[in-house]
Amino acid sequence: MNRKPSPRVMVLMYVILILAALFAFYPVWFAILASGRLGDRLYTLNLGGMFFPTEWTWENYRIMLVEKPLLNWIRNSLYVAIVTSIASLLISTSAAFAVSRFRFYGREVMLIFLLAIQTFPGVLALVAVAQILTALGLYRTHEGLILAYTIGTLVFATWNMKGYFDTIPIDLEEAAMIDGCGPVQSFIRIALPLALPALAVTALLGFMAGWGDFIFASVLIPAPDSMKLAVPGLFSLANDQSVPWGYFAAGGMIIVLPTLIVFLALQRFLIGGLTAGGVK
Amino acid sequence: MIGWSGRRKAFTVLLFVGPTLLGILLLNVFPILLSTYVSFTNRNKFHPNPDCSVVLTSVLDPVCWPMFQGRAGRGLAEPYSLQTPLFQNYIDLVGKLFTVEAVQALLLILICFLPLMIAALLNRYWERKITRPVSASTLWLFGLGGGLLLAFALNANAAYQQLLTTGDFFVVVWRTILFVVARVPLSFGLGLVLALILNSSHLPGRTFFRVILFLPWATSSLAILMALVWQFFFREQGVINQVLRIIGFDGYAWLSDPVTAFAAIVITDVWFSYPFFMVVILGALQSVPNDVYEAADVEGASWWTQLTRITLPLIRPAILPATVLTSITAFQMFGTAWAITQGGPTRGAGVPGATEFVIVYAYKQIYQSQNYGSASAFAVILFLFLFAATLYSLRYTRITKGAYE
Repeated sequence: MNRKPSPRVMVLMYVILILAALFAFYPVWFAILASGRLGDRLYTLNLGGMFFPTEWTWENYRIMLVEKPLLNWIRNSLYVAIVTSIASLLISTSAAFAVSRFRFYGREVMLIFLLAIQTFPGVLALVAVAQILTALGLYRTHEGLILAYTIGTLVFATWNMKGYFDTIPIDLEEAAMIDGCGPVQSFIRIALPLALPALAVTALLGFMAGWGDFIFASVLIPAPDSMKLAVPGLFSLANDQSVPWGYFAAGGMIIVLPTLIVFLALQRFLIGGLTAGGVK
Repeated sequence: MIGWSGRRKAFTVLLFVGPTLLGILLLNVFPILLSTYVSFTNRNKFHPNPDCSVVLTSVLDPVCWPMFQGRAGRGLAEPYSLQTPLFQNYIDLVGKLFTVEAVQALLLILICFLPLMIAALLNRYWERKITRPVSASTLWLFGLGGGLLLAFALNANAAYQQLLTTGDFFVVVWRTILFVVARVPLSFGLGLVLALILNSSHLPGRTFFRVILFLPWATSSLAILMALVWQFFFREQGVINQVLRIIGFDGYAWLSDPVTAFAAIVITDVWFSYPFFMVVILGALQSVPNDVYEAADVEGASWWTQLTRITLPLIRPAILPATVLTSITAFQMFGTAWAITQGGPTRGAGVPGATEFVIVYAYKQIYQSQNYGSASAFAVILFLFLFAATLYSLRYTRITKGAYE
């Protein structure tokens, strides 16, 4: 839909966008406001304080960055999330390509099987996952966590990539094969560059899985402090006596930043027309 | 691809799908097997340890594996053993659903859904015909009306009340289904509308809006914090009530009323989940070639016709898996409800609260009461249920077909 819309449609589009942006942004804005407030409360009962920074201070940010090991936790998280993202891309893309392009015995069964086992509740499988990782000697290591996250994203990533490959005209690869490419070569040279938008979505998904999780990270790496990931590390600052909401909010805002940068970098690939003119 | 076969093809395919299969076997299939085994045992806080002299236990429980020895200490409490009768955990959970009255009530409620199913079948039949006597929306309206009439005529409410007395299982699952039915279409719709708008290339500020609208997903790492922010909005002294008071309305205890507490969870979860749909659909839209729209313009197709006849069918294979999988994750939603209501409001102790969805219930079972055996049985029943639902939705939508079919 790349015609220029009429002015009336443009106004309507902006109204929807602005309403949605308010809905999306206000809770985040509320958390930002809380990050600039001293004391251990997330809330303020002062109506003005719910919308504007009435009492702003950088103290929480200073404490999180200088006094607490947040930067160290973020480094751990970055390592886990980036490796998860790459591993998930490599493994799922090749599986998805095979499932979309080859007809082999058990193909449909495998697809259904992948989706069906995903229906087992993750929280309840966690105990067993922790036991297996212990048996493999990967408990309390970042590599064990990466393994768990990567496998956790595989099903969706494979299905999503497969769906996208299905929408790419197969004639392009057939042309390449007539010109002498093998299946692996046509996959790497033709299909992969065309699937760039889906690759971006899959990479984002892997990154978010490694970056945002709380339950797996806190169960699989309970200690020591220097090994922790950002999110469980942040929440471990709470103790029985007090929950330092100001720290949480400030640390949270710092933790969200890398996700936004990754999204900004990847959203450039969400552009159309890659297959345009390929098949006539 | 077409044409070559034999050992070389098998090898290539294995090379492509092998790693995925191996990973899934290790960390998805095995935990399911282990949990299924545990669901037949009395494993709980009094019987936490495996008895490695039992053959099945020594094979399935990693604590018994030789490589596990020395890596973790073993407790001294009693070992767990198989239940007698074997299905005891299952009987405790759903036994009362299989009495004559309960089965009758269940059948009666199913009958009320018959008109809707007939409408769906007829729709599928007419989909392939060039002309159709009745439009799809009329058919759906008739199905819905017929269902409601039947429900009145057969007194479905009494049957429903009857089922509510069969224990926690029906209550919790039914509530979760309602949640999925409310939440998935809402976030899909919102995500679709936003993705369509954001895909337009003549939109100044497009990147700005893309980032702002992605924010809720970006904060999913802070799900607990953000859910508590949302909880504050709905509190008695919260943002919504304060704003209402300024306009001159009275505040309302949103989280103490079962209906509004449920709605609050739905709204919050839509906030968390729509960006996922938005990004996936935005990705899928990129594969739609421009020339089909040009052709449609020449033919004079309206915007709506283009959306329903070109865009949606073309991106269907790319967005259906997302929809099916999101329905599964919505079914297993935990964090939002746990942070906002902890499953409440309840009518009394021991009764599941108005927002106690399946995983919240299971979580309370496993981590607060440490009933691994019973919680595993619960998980297995859920698994069978979702498995069947997934198979059906796959058949219905036919998304397993590859590029060639």
